[in-house]
Order: sequence, then structure tokens, then C-alpha cells
Amino acid sequence: MPWKYISGRLFMFVITIWVASTVVFFLPRISGQNPLEEKIYQEAAEGGFQDPDVAERVRVFEEKYGFDKPLWQQYVKYVTDIVRFDLGRSILRWPKSVNELLAESLIWTVALGFITLILAFIVGSFMGAIMEWKRQNTALLLSMAPFLALSAIPFFIFGIAVQALVFSIDREFPLTRGYQPGVVGWPDWSDIGFLLNVLKHALLPASSVVLVSLGGWAMGMRGMMVTTKGEDYMLQAEAKGLPNSVMFAKYAVRNSLLPHLTGLALSLGLIVSGVLLLEVVFAYPGVGTALLDAVNGNDYPTIQGITFVLAFGTAAATLVIDMIYPLIDPRIRSIGR
Amino acid sequence: MAGATDSTNQPVTSIPMGIGQSPFIQDRVIPLFRYLRRNRLLVVGIGALAALILMVSISYMFYSQENLYGEPTGVSEMAKELSAFPEIRPSWNPWGEFPLGTDPQGRDIYAGLMVGAPLTLRVGLIAAAIGVGVGLILAFVAAYAGGWVDSVVRVIVDSLIPIPGLLIVVLVATAVNPGKGISVDQMAFVISVLAWPGPARVIRSQVLVMRERGYVEMARMSGTSPLGIIFKEMMPNLAPYILASFVASVSGAILATVGLEALGLGPADDSTLGRMIYLNIFYGTVLHGLWWWLIAPIAVLVVLFVGLFMISAGLDEVANPRLRRRV
Repeated sequence: MPWKYISGRLFMFVITIWVASTVVFFLPRISGQNPLEEKIYQEAAEGGFQDPDVAERVRVFEEKYGFDKPLWQQYVKYVTDIVRFDLGRSILRWPKSVNELLAESLIWTVALGFITLILAFIVGSFMGAIMEWKRQNTALLLSMAPFLALSAIPFFIFGIAVQALVFSIDREFPLTRGYQPGVVGWPDWSDIGFLLNVLKHALLPASSVVLVSLGGWAMGMRGMMVTTKGEDYMLQAEAKGLPNSVMFAKYAVRNSLLPHLTGLALSLGLIVSGVLLLEVVFAYPGVGTALLDAVNGNDYPTIQGITFVLAFGTAAATLVIDMIYPLIDPRIRSIGR
Repeated sequence: MAGATDSTNQPVTSIPMGIGQSPFIQDRVIPLFRYLRRNRLLVVGIGALAALILMVSISYMFYSQENLYGEPTGVSEMAKELSAFPEIRPSWNPWGEFPLGTDPQGRDIYAGLMVGAPLTLRVGLIAAAIGVGVGLILAFVAAYAGGWVDSVVRVIVDSLIPIPGLLIVVLVATAVNPGKGISVDQMAFVISVLAWPGPARVIRSQVLVMRERGYVEMARMSGTSPLGIIFKEMMPNLAPYILASFVASVSGAILATVGLEALGLGPADDSTLGRMIYLNIFYGTVLHGLWWWLIAPIAVLVVLFVGLFMISAGLDEVANPRLRRRV
């Protein structure tokens, strides 16, 4: 039985990756544009003199990228490359490979996304639990209402508002970028001053994500608490005369948190694509900004690579939680699906 | 939980019992209002959107037409009007002649909002209608055909859901618009590309549950045709779910369109809310102190998003009776 379950999940994972990579391969090609040619002609035009060999150069580069081959050959090569996680080379920032570009930017996005997500999850779940536990306390409920409303607003819209607010209070506070300007190349991470600077720059985008996502977690947790409170073991705990705090922490929260964890795992996959636009607003050196550059420069290999990696991450997170969840929660295991 | 005021519920008491004699009002309208009185979230959400739409309509009727960039009904003509000005009036603050000030190119921000809000809402509505429509058809086909059809639909839907929609939409948008802007309606179609797997999944599982219910069994045994069962027995019970996923889709589509536009991939000729946001990011409005240009589109978007969120939370209560008792 478990083997059937596991193989089914693995099959879905492979299908998802295949669909994502195929969509990502064919979509840019239906537009009939030639980004390489555009880029090379543009560079040639910027040079200011007439290069007689432009057409030849385009041909050479097309050969390098394999664009001269028939579509099916390109597709076969693309799939075999992707299986080895070779995402090709960037057009905009030739000769950098997309993997290098992603390695530089993904770390910022993942750090920003994961830290804020986990923070928001912990605080938000606690808020939701308290909300349901002390339902009679109207003042408490009203104080939570703004967070619930905030959760409807996209990260980046709220981010812009935060920027404007902070700027009106403190004109010196860094509004954009990941670290102070003037750092050339890959920064020196062992420098404490630099680290503090990074944290200071991360404060605004991070707090935007946390403030916006608190409400969602609170709502979810509250829903779980409602279900848990109706369970027989809660009644029994009360009948046994257990103190309120024990009933709250050991009985209600513990049992509610478990299904809530599925949501967390799913969000770990989604948060990265969720913060993309926020990064654009804050010019944060993550994947979102890389995506914006790639979009503006028609850099298809990079757009493809980013889309593929993020789809892969989300699908992998889903797979992992589907695998682990029956181990954590015996109730699911017994159903066996 | 939201600070709902009772003034929104006035219609409940103001329905005179004299006209309440017809069975339709007795059986449908009065219970509906009675229910709405308890479901404040839904009322406040609908109220917020209605207020926005009312404001736009009133503005179209009474606000100076030249400031609204052209005819009230024309969309494509607005672009021309946008760039032609009788006088130059850049970056006026809201205390002057224009209610919300002007942007650096002298455009009236209030007029921009009144033109942009319906356009953005239109993208959301079209994309969501396509998404939910396709999802609904797929859900019924899958749930009714069963067997391999169901498996294929389920695999397709399940494999599309983990793919970040915004990125696919970015790819589509860059593919269909080489360099030039796309129109507002094209934008809606682009966004609808990935708007259907979510609704399809939700509705399919509901159809599967509902198909086994007693009243559907009853209708089947009494010889109702499958289409009759779908439209007469199941649709009325599915309505809250369909509505909830429609509202959620509208909100998601608006998020996608504003996001695409913030990346500079939106319609370049129409003054949508997302385009205002894009221009704000592009010009670095925050640093230039043009707060009135920034706040305006954000405020309208917040009303839209929070309103839709409240409606969808309210509809959740309609769909799940367990939540309903706690209102």
C-alpha cells in the first residue's frame, strides 16, 4: 500500500516537472522572435560603426545556442540538459550560465522568503490560536482585524506603501537594494559591518512579508482550533480539571498545528515566487530582480531557467510533505489513501 | 471581527410586510436579508465594491469629461487624449485645482483612477470567468466520465497547480507582445491561461461528493436526465462554491495583472491601476515625494483586494455551515 502511494506521488512529481519544462520550452518559441539576433544587432548598433560581419556573428551564436537546429532536436537537447540541471547560458549576460545567475540571486530570495515565512507562521499561528481560545475578548479580536485585512493585499503593494511611510519618517533609511552601493563583485560575507548592513536593507522587505502573511496563518490556525475545540478529548480534558494553559498548549494547539504544517510546507515552495514582485519594488538582488532584467532584455534562457527552478522547488516541496506527512500524523497513515 | 456597521443592514427592517405577500419575497428575499444581517463580512465586502463602482459611475457622469481622457465608453481612444494637454500642469499636489493632484506628465490622477479601476476590474472579471468556466466544464466532465478521463484531467490539474502561475503568465506575456503593449482584453486572456486548474480541482471534488448524496440518487432514480441533474439538482448546491472560487479567481487575476504591469509587461496604452503602480516604481515616486500619485492607486487596489477577500470569506461561511454558526 505505501509503495503504491509513494510511486503515485513520484509519478505526479515527474509529470509536473515535465509539464513545466515543456511549457517553458515552447512558450517563448511561439512568439517567433529572435532574441539573439536582436541583442547582437543592438550591440552592433551601439558600437557606432558598421560591422560587416553581423550576420555571420548571429549565425555563430545561433550555432552556439543550438537555435539553428530543427525544433525537435532543440527539444531533445533541452530535456537532456534539464535532467542534468544544465539550464543553458544567459543571452543578456553572455557568457554567464543561467545556473551561475541563479546561484547569485536565488540565495537572497530563499533567505528572505524562508526566514519571513517561518517567522510569520509562528507568530500568525499563535495569534490565530489565541483568537479562538479567547473568543469572548472583543478587544483582542478587534486588534487582530487589521492583520486579517492586510492579508488580502499583495506583498509588493504593501511594500510600496511601507517604503513611502518609512521615507517620510527617516530619509536616510535604505529603501532599496540588498546592501550598500559601491560593493563590486561578490561581497565579503565575513565582514560584520557588511552583515549588519544587509540586515538593515532586508528589514523593510522582510517586515512587509511578515505583516502581510500573519493574517492568513492566523485565519488558518483559527479554523483548525475550531475543529479541535469540538473534539471529545477537549471535553475530557476539561472534565479532568486540567489547567487552562495545559489545555491550550498541550491539547488544542498541538493537535491543531499538525494539519497546519501542510500549509507551511506548501508555502515554502510558493513563497519564493510570492516575493518576486516585492523584490522588484525593493530592487532586492534576488530572483525577482533577475527576472525583471531578463524580461526587459528578452533573455529567454534565463526566464526559462527561473521558471523551471521555481516550479521544481514548489513541486519538490509538495512531494516532500506528501511523503513525510503520513509519518508525522498517524491519522493519515491509517487511512492509507 | 471586522468593524461592520449596522447601517448596511437597513434594508432588512425597511421591507414593508405589505409587499412581502408574494411567495418569492416570503421564501427567498426575506431569508436572504435575514442571513445577510448575520454575515457581515459578505455585506461589508459587497458594500466596498459597490461603493467603488458607484463612485466610478458617478465620476463618469459628472466629472469633467476632458479630464477623463475621452469618451466614457471608449477605451482605445483614451491613449491619444492622455498625451495631448491643453496646458501643462505637472506634479500638482491635491490641494490645487485637481482633487487628487496630477502626475509628472500633468495627468489628472483622480481621472486616471476612475478610468483605471474599471479596466483592472474588467481584466479580473474576464480572466476569472474564463478560468471558472473552463474549470467547471472540466470538473463535470471528469467527475461524470470517471475512469481514464478523470485520471487524465486530475493529472493535468495536479501537475499545473504547483507551477508558479505568475511566471508562466510572464512567459506568455513576453511571447505574445514582442516589444509592443498588449490590449486590456488580451491581458485578461493571457492571465486566464492558468486560472482554471484551481477552480477545476475544488469543483470536481464537490461534484464527486454531491453525486453520492441522497437527493441526487433520488433524482436519478426518478428518471431525471444527467443534464437535468447537473443543472437542477447540483448547480444550486454548488453555487456557493462556484461563487467563492470565482471571487477568489477575480482577486488572483487582479493580482496577476497588477504584477505583470509592475514588471512592465502590461498594456502601455491604457491607464490601468497596475500601469500607475508601474510608473510609480519606474519614476521612483517615493524618493521624489510625490506621495499623492503613489497613494491613489494603492488605496483603490486595497479597497478592491480587501473587498474581494471579505466577499470570499463571507461566501465561505455560506458554503461551510460549520463556520456559519460562529458569525
